[in-house]
Amino acid sequence: MNLFRSEEHARRWALFNPQSEEGFISLPDLAGFFATESRHHMLAPDYLSAWFPRRGGERRAYLEGIGKSTPFWLGTPSPA
Amino acid sequence: MDQAFHLLMRSIVESGSALHYAELARVLALPVEDGRQLLQAVMQAYPIGWLHPETDYIASFPPLNNLPTQYRVTVRGQQKWFAQCGFEATSVTWLFPGMTVKVEAPCLDCGDPMVIEMRDGHFVTVDPPRMVGHLNYGFGPSRGRPPFL
Repeated sequence: MNLFRSEEHARRWALFNPQSEEGFISLPDLAGFFATESRHHMLAPDYLSAWFPRRGGERRAYLEGIGKSTPFWLGTPSPA
Repeated sequence: MDQAFHLLMRSIVESGSALHYAELARVLALPVEDGRQLLQAVMQAYPIGWLHPETDYIASFPPLNNLPTQYRVTVRGQQKWFAQCGFEATSVTWLFPGMTVKVEAPCLDCGDPMVIEMRDGHFVTVDPPRMVGHLNYGFGPSRGRPPFL
């Protein structure tokens, strides 16, 4: 999960995975992905019990909202 | 466990490094071994972070990292933090409300610098403007790759 100067730079990276073409995300989308409600409460005394459990659902909903609903992004098994 | 998590998060935000379990135990007035077990329990409950293999040392406590990464974080002119990864770098802003958070990293392709600055979740600076995020392996344990890739 890295930042690159551009998509071209990522593709030239020595460790670039050719199967990760769908792994690009714009910075505004990335910032939104990491700005879901639970993220605003990381300093709350009850974050671990009250907020962290919400993170998975929030992430999934956000990814689906920006059209990244493939197993690659959702962490679900790939179709056989 | 909430209290332990909160103390760990506060410590890494305030100083750039998370409490060791012996320090955690001291703060909570626990025997040292209880502190170690509490740390283990916290990390199990927060599996997006991890201990360095074969140790009880916190390596990663996202969005920040105890172990240096290429994502250097500067707040109020002080560079004493590291983000876990490029994605989590965009989340560090939520740990410093009302402040400008600067993340600097070399591009893994060319080594040239990249800079983002964020304040309360909004970008202040993105240099170069065509900067992108990239996930090299899909999310999820079924991919069989460490989460930091």
